[in-house]
Amino acid sequence: MAQPRRNWGKWITSGPPLVYLLVFFAVPTLIMVLASFRTPGEFGGLAPLRNEDGSLDLTLESYVRFATEPLYWQIFLKSFWYAIATTLACLVLAYPLAMLIARSDRRYRDLLLLLVILPFWSNFLIRVYAWMIILGPNAAFARVVNGVLGAFGIEPVSLLFSAFAVLVCLVYVHLPFMVLPLYANLEKHDSTLLDAAQDLGANAWQRFWRITFPLSLPGVYAGAALVFIPAFGIFAIPDILGGPNDSLIGNVIKQQFLETRDWPFGSVLSIVLTVLALLIAGFAAWVGKRGVARLAAGDA
Amino acid sequence: MKRPLSFLAVAALAALVALPVAAQNKLHLYNWNNYIAPETIKRFEEQCKCEVVQTYYSDNEELLAKLAAGAKGYDVLVPTSNAVQALIRGNQLKPLDASKLPNMKNVDPVFMNTKFDPGNKFSVPYAMSTTILGYNDQKMKELGLPTDTWAVIFDPKYLEKVKGRVTVLDSANELFAAALIYLGYSPNSTDEKQWKEAADLIKKAKPYWAAFNASSYIKELTVGNIWLVHGYSNDIFQAGLDAKAAKRPFQILQGMPKEGAVLAVDNMVVHKDAPRPDLAHQFINFMLDGKNSAELTNLIGSGNPNTAAAQYIKPELKALPAVFPPKETQAKLHQLTDLTAAQRRTRNRMWTEVKAGK
Repeated sequence: MAQPRRNWGKWITSGPPLVYLLVFFAVPTLIMVLASFRTPGEFGGLAPLRNEDGSLDLTLESYVRFATEPLYWQIFLKSFWYAIATTLACLVLAYPLAMLIARSDRRYRDLLLLLVILPFWSNFLIRVYAWMIILGPNAAFARVVNGVLGAFGIEPVSLLFSAFAVLVCLVYVHLPFMVLPLYANLEKHDSTLLDAAQDLGANAWQRFWRITFPLSLPGVYAGAALVFIPAFGIFAIPDILGGPNDSLIGNVIKQQFLETRDWPFGSVLSIVLTVLALLIAGFAAWVGKRGVARLAAGDA
Repeated sequence: MKRPLSFLAVAALAALVALPVAAQNKLHLYNWNNYIAPETIKRFEEQCKCEVVQTYYSDNEELLAKLAAGAKGYDVLVPTSNAVQALIRGNQLKPLDASKLPNMKNVDPVFMNTKFDPGNKFSVPYAMSTTILGYNDQKMKELGLPTDTWAVIFDPKYLEKVKGRVTVLDSANELFAAALIYLGYSPNSTDEKQWKEAADLIKKAKPYWAAFNASSYIKELTVGNIWLVHGYSNDIFQAGLDAKAAKRPFQILQGMPKEGAVLAVDNMVVHKDAPRPDLAHQFINFMLDGKNSAELTNLIGSGNPNTAAAQYIKPELKALPAVFPPKETQAKLHQLTDLTAAQRRTRNRMWTEVKAGK
């Protein structure tokens, strides 16, 4: 009789989250997939599912349009580079920070972590708008930058409404998502490994590159995925801080649902975005696993 | 119109929002942000002994998307004429009962019985705005730039003097309309060749623009970062007030292009599933009263199609051609018509290309 009772407990605890995921993730995804095969309605939304003669109005038109237009691939590629640049910048900035927190005195760790998540206390859009003020042409930051450029005889640049503004804000917004998984990983490292390496004559760089870094790779991948995936589909930041050339795939998708009222095409673009993000994350994990295996084998 | 709320729209779409539909003593008004004075609402609440619950949208697309996704519970909506057309076609509206709207007689006949809603079966004009130029008078004078022609935002000859200090609306409809008008075509043209010309014009001007912006240009004008915008008359009016309040050394003024401009008439309509059509009619009639309608103009700077309102409107507002266009300007103002689904696809393809291209 013990076995069924244990199963009950399992279902009671895992049931609600499963139902939640099913309702709020699987169902919307399914709706999106269905919508991608339909025709946009004249008024907006979708055209009726059945034609006047009763046949189903399902079409591959939106997919064909996407596949035959290099324009949308170009925008995906551009968004990909923005997301990659954001991920790399976050990694470079977050790694030392996470290491610092992980190796600082236990008493201060919670406080330092709190400081990392402090920005979440104010709304995302408000933080993005704040960057408009920081980067504005009359703000101190832009004046200093242009003062320095001027000293070298370079024309003043506009920081706001530029790719620079978009990238700075993307990095700013996503940085905590890189710091937290890295910290969670680095904090668990056994410091005696480093002591042993030192005793065996490894210098600081060797200790980092051959011990700390390989051990931290799972944290790096988790952080990279948490940064890359949302950055790939973002639309609010380029909308607010971008210049005339900074329209990304998220903006194009948003346009399909609002201005153009073309849900099927918007759905196709969203599906492609999701699939690409999964493929890229999967590929990175695969490369990562091989990397860890190679490092573990000791040929690094 | 400002659109800071539009980021929420995508989320709202997925959620298939349904407000609780209860026959309480409440009027649900789904309105543009900042499009009615709190004083006006309060007076109506006293008169109807009811409560007004306002929710906001920041562009017509947001309203259309939400209703298309099945949102319910709204009584009165205030869409622009082309969106009224889309809502009528989509069977989203309840016909008005003219017998309950005696103040309908106050509306200037010029704005009644339009092609968007022949015979005003579903809609009554509320207020209007034009899509025009807004500028920093000091800078434009210094640079010797004209402020009465679309050339100033499309012709590189002028643009190179204000490079990086110009924004245009992030709206394919509005920007294509301005470009088509500048090229001498109808803003409602559906000729793809003319669209292509307009797209080329936009592509050539784009390197000089700071941004496609519909959300923060009011603030950027007010603080002096941006000197010239393609924007809505209400917004530019607001920027002018803000600049004055902040005691800036310059003024923000409205420029009506001599080639013509887009006119947006916003209309009151009743949603087909309105829980309280009785209160909806009471509200519409109340807003058509001259005094109440005049407040829309005095407080937010919108144009006013109500003849009974004229006597209550501040004289300095009456003098603004973008708010009260004189007869010869009126002839050059065009309301946009709704495009078909296929036309919207073609247009969006061009727009994406314009925005993605170098």
